[in-house]
Amino acid sequence: MNRRPRRWLSTRGLLYGGAAFLVLQAAFPFFWMISTSFKPPAEVFAQPPSFIPDDPTWDNFHRLFTATGFLTYFWNSVIVSGLSVLLTMIVSAAGAYSLTRYRYIGREKIAGLILCTYMFAPIMVVIPFFILVKKLGIENTHFALVLAFTSFCLPFTLWLMRAFFATIPMELEEAALVDGAGRVRALIYVVLPLALPGIIATSIFTFILAWNDYIFTRILITSDELKTLPVGVQDLFHSALIDWGLIMAAGMMITIPALLFFLSVQRYLIRGWGAGGVKG
Amino acid sequence: MIQSRSREQIVGLLAIAPALFLILALTLYPVAYSIWLSLLEKHSFFPQERFVGLENFFYLWKDEEFWTSLWLGTVYSVWTILFQIILGVAAALILNESFVGRGLVRAIVLFPYMIPTIVAVILWKWLLNDTYGVVNYWMVALGIVRDPVSWLGTDHIMLSVIAMSIWQFFPFVLLTILARLQTIPPELYEAAKVDGASAVRRFIHVTLPQIRGILFVVILLRSIWMFTKFDTVWLMGEGAGAGRFIRTLPVYAYMRTLTYYQAGLGAALAVIMFAILIVCTVIYFRMFREEADIG
Repeated sequence: MNRRPRRWLSTRGLLYGGAAFLVLQAAFPFFWMISTSFKPPAEVFAQPPSFIPDDPTWDNFHRLFTATGFLTYFWNSVIVSGLSVLLTMIVSAAGAYSLTRYRYIGREKIAGLILCTYMFAPIMVVIPFFILVKKLGIENTHFALVLAFTSFCLPFTLWLMRAFFATIPMELEEAALVDGAGRVRALIYVVLPLALPGIIATSIFTFILAWNDYIFTRILITSDELKTLPVGVQDLFHSALIDWGLIMAAGMMITIPALLFFLSVQRYLIRGWGAGGVKG
Repeated sequence: MIQSRSREQIVGLLAIAPALFLILALTLYPVAYSIWLSLLEKHSFFPQERFVGLENFFYLWKDEEFWTSLWLGTVYSVWTILFQIILGVAAALILNESFVGRGLVRAIVLFPYMIPTIVAVILWKWLLNDTYGVVNYWMVALGIVRDPVSWLGTDHIMLSVIAMSIWQFFPFVLLTILARLQTIPPELYEAAKVDGASAVRRFIHVTLPQIRGILFVVILLRSIWMFTKFDTVWLMGEGAGAGRFIRTLPVYAYMRTLTYYQAGLGAALAVIMFAILIVCTVIYFRMFREEADIG
């Protein structure tokens, strides 16, 4: 009689222990980043380290905004990520609509081809891409970055959107068509609203990929005023003495937009994930 | 009727055309071009080029650094993939149970996967800092080691980059497996419970057959992505002095192209990487043909 509750306790204990471990390993590094970013220089290197800053200060953030190119990089990141999301959404929504609503020769072959490119890693594409971009004369422009991110995101956004569009019954559209709406109107008023979770999920994936990218930006962008955040922040490391407080403040400022986006659409994520997965 | 069908074809093709064009021009063409590039001797920035046939590949065959990078890349991928899968599946099983605060835990656990690699790298370089890092502080305080360990030094940098990569990427496995676990009908577990199966047996006989297909796909994708992982490894090694002890194949390809400006050799390395991936993928599909059908 005694055995059952004890066993229940131990599996429950194991479960909560495991969950606690998962939270700690994920959250502690972020906690440490936040804590460091509010410490004055002397406290950053204090031994033993203090977990909550004794003497919290905005100094690191202040220096980040005034003494480095951070705000420029931030703005560049916003523009490049925003435009990449916009272009990717238009191109992949049209493509997914075509793949699910029209019949034509080679449709399945096209879908298969797109899926194949899903496994290409940036490192295999980026060097010839760089040479191509130079030939086109668009090296060192945000336009080249937007093209790179869009083409790189397309395989998975198309795949994901296609899965979402396929779940929307044709009958709804046909009803709208019978009622006299044109195909474009049916798309805008019937299909797109229903596909909204899919559109949001894919735009998040694209945003995070563009926001986080390092390699394309490192290779395609040479002038400092065009750099995006990851490359700009990496360059903060190149000073002789590493200013950890400043770097942690920068890390925090890059992380916040990505996490905000992620948290705001989190509920769509698992659904989207089941349909297509993401790259990384 | 015929007219409307051909119209339908044209509209359909027009709608897919931009996507197709971008993928052909900016992904497939570069990959094809890098095969051509691997047969050239070419400076990365200047237009001069000379056809040299397979000379780049012969050079690499005798290049000790190439073999080292292949070995380091293999070590890095094998360990990171193995632990990502184990941790990811275990964590998915935990987060599939119901407990207080599950939604919050699910969100927090995904953080490391969502942040930019540069942030993950600066976080870990700071945590692992040999003089001021909190990891060393704890290990000394708890008496695990007597002196601070140089985590980013020659002896430990591989271990550090592997640990950090597992931390950064196992949430992908977790999320994908969790999405699949949620679709397993609960009746299957109830039936197994009625039969008196233990938790371990329920995992082996109920859960595992259900997640086999998705596990097949996840292992494949993660292997491809870890074997070609560039930014995490490069950024961890940069400025650490010990970077050459984690110079994996993708990092070496990058360096040949952008440090030594030998675009031909860099492309040859990318082609080799690609060839290895294709061969491994084919073998993998052959070995696990059954799972491939389910997946």
